[in-house]
Amino acid sequence: MTLDSVPLDVPVRVLGYAGLASFDKDRLSGLGLRPGVAVTKILKTPLQDPIECLVGTQLLAIEARLLPHIRVEAAI
Amino acid sequence: MKRVVALAGRPNTGKTTLFNALTGLRHRAANFAGCTVEKASGALRGADSDVEVVDLPGTFSMVPQTEDEQVSFRFLSECADSNDDFLVLCVAEASNLENDLVLPAGLKAAGYPVALAVNMIDEARLNGVKLDAAELSGRLSMPVALVSARTGEGVDKLDALMAPPPLRADLSEALDFRRATKKRLHELQDEALATAAAAAAASVTWPHRSVLPVVARAIRIDRVLLHPVIGPVMLTATMFAVFQALFVGAAPVMDALSSLLGSLSDLLRARLPEGALASLLCDGAIPGISAVVVFVPQIAILFTMIGFLEQSGYLPRAGAMVDRALRPFGLDGRVFIPFLSSFACAIPGVMAARTIHSEKRRIVTILLAPLMTCSARIPVYTLLITAFVPETFRPLGFNGQGVVMAGMYAFGVALALLLALALKFTALHELHPAPATVLPPYRIPSAREMFRYVWARCWHFLSRAGRVIFTLSLILWALAAFPRDAARLSPLEAELAAVRASSPADPALEKSLQGRIAAARIEGSVLGRAGRLIEPVFRPLGWDWRVSIASLSALAAREVFVGTLGTIYALGGESDASEGLISALREARNADGTKRYGLATAVSLLIFFAIALQCMSTIVTVRRETGSLRIPALQFSFLFGLAYALAFAGYRLTLALL
Repeated sequence: MTLDSVPLDVPVRVLGYAGLASFDKDRLSGLGLRPGVAVTKILKTPLQDPIECLVGTQLLAIEARLLPHIRVEAAI
Repeated sequence: MKRVVALAGRPNTGKTTLFNALTGLRHRAANFAGCTVEKASGALRGADSDVEVVDLPGTFSMVPQTEDEQVSFRFLSECADSNDDFLVLCVAEASNLENDLVLPAGLKAAGYPVALAVNMIDEARLNGVKLDAAELSGRLSMPVALVSARTGEGVDKLDALMAPPPLRADLSEALDFRRATKKRLHELQDEALATAAAAAAASVTWPHRSVLPVVARAIRIDRVLLHPVIGPVMLTATMFAVFQALFVGAAPVMDALSSLLGSLSDLLRARLPEGALASLLCDGAIPGISAVVVFVPQIAILFTMIGFLEQSGYLPRAGAMVDRALRPFGLDGRVFIPFLSSFACAIPGVMAARTIHSEKRRIVTILLAPLMTCSARIPVYTLLITAFVPETFRPLGFNGQGVVMAGMYAFGVALALLLALALKFTALHELHPAPATVLPPYRIPSAREMFRYVWARCWHFLSRAGRVIFTLSLILWALAAFPRDAARLSPLEAELAAVRASSPADPALEKSLQGRIAAARIEGSVLGRAGRLIEPVFRPLGWDWRVSIASLSALAAREVFVGTLGTIYALGGESDASEGLISALREARNADGTKRYGLATAVSLLIFFAIALQCMSTIVTVRRETGSLRIPALQFSFLFGLAYALAFAGYRLTLALL
């Protein structure tokens, strides 16, 4: 599954990226959104985009278009 | 031996706070060579310090992507090449070590001498995070100090790390980032990720909670501040407060400064004999100083507000809220504050663009910010709208003059967005420079940090832009004051002397004569002659030589247009000229009895002033902020050309419709 299909407040774990441009991949990785990291979608900003996510111990506002490219699995 | 200490780290690690704690107020700002990226450097506090501390732009990983990140890595390689001793002091946030350790681990692996300052140790304690500095130091093979730059805790421990050593570190094996391949950088990044994860796992004890307390608090606040209804209301209220503070808060101080300098000018004029020296001081030097210091209150207020919003953590959230709306125009949420600030004055707006990390996005913002309707345009708009938009014009029952004024504001915004759209098809467009943004925890801003932040911005403006603005003011004064047309001036001056000597005094006649002398002076000057010379250029816009001179002199500042036109129309003092000038413009006639100006001329002037970069101070500030002559030159030429073309179109269209 990908991050866009995960409901709000459900913790998941990042598996990898699918079809993401290298720029975006490097950027997300640099920001800490990497395979193995726990992610929880917290809320949608008023215009529905970007989405606020808890990534590890930090909060990120991630453009909605990137979420379908982030593969995740349920966190145990 | 001199030592350079480069502060490196991810944004939001408190790097600049630590830089301020290390250097006090003794730092200076310049740009890194060949780009708009700001380089703040300063001597390490301590009178005989031979250590220069440089605050590098924030860097997310070992693979530089934005211009800011590339500048940081380029600077490190340049330091490795130089003869100075060199140390990279990486700054990491204590509660986010796994991410923040990647850079120090990567730089160490690349052969650079690295020390680590683990910052915000006080916040980590609140979060229940425990750190073993010795373990961390051993894992990373670099000295580590636990500090809180905000409170000063542990900062003195850094002194020992930063003192110049007797021998220069061996940098012969250091990786040259300017020539490194992407593959090598990715290898370094992967290596650093593994080292950082292992070091963090071994040296950090996390609390038995799923979410750190400060993050949990931030989420709770975000559920309110980013709520679909409350969020936009709060954002509007915040921006309204910023806007109000800029206009209402700054206005009395600006008026007081102008008044003080005006009084000084009057005092000198009364004490000094009439002549070139009095004119130089009263019409050149003092207005020149005024043109600089009058902006300081606005800059101070704006950066106090921005500093508060930034340090509290709200600014990135405000940007996130408007990001989606601006994306179709090739912009993002970060341009919001610079654009909003430009409604007060383009100078703080241009300076506020520093909060934008992407260099291309920053340049686009700087290019477009002056299109927002600044306060200097208001006197020009008021004069033209009052003089030429009939009071009987009431669209949908509203006051027509008010509607046109609101339309001018909307025109500036719409044009900026359209040009932003056009810039999407140029090399200045950067696709998604920030596809994700860190939303830092909410923090209470520190008064000391705020003072340093505001002081640095004000001093930067005064020291860098102020000198040039002052010099240009003197040049403009000289152009408007010389040569003296003695043949025209002598009879008027003799008449004035006679009026002054007569009894009883006739203040109205004296004032009228003073106005005529001022008009004769400006008409005979280089500026006046240039106005006549360029009259054919502006004739297609419906302007005569008087309006052309006023527009030329408005290069100093847009509002000067009103004063110059008042002077040319021999009205004397600017303060009560407004009403007289309005009727003078309405009633002005050509030799053949036809009206000199009509609605079409007003339309062309309004359009021209809405677009043209008629502000020397803004041009100088753009020059200083971009570190380039080309950018302000292109900006001025393009906006002038566009202003001319659209003003011509507006003039012809209005004539055709009337």
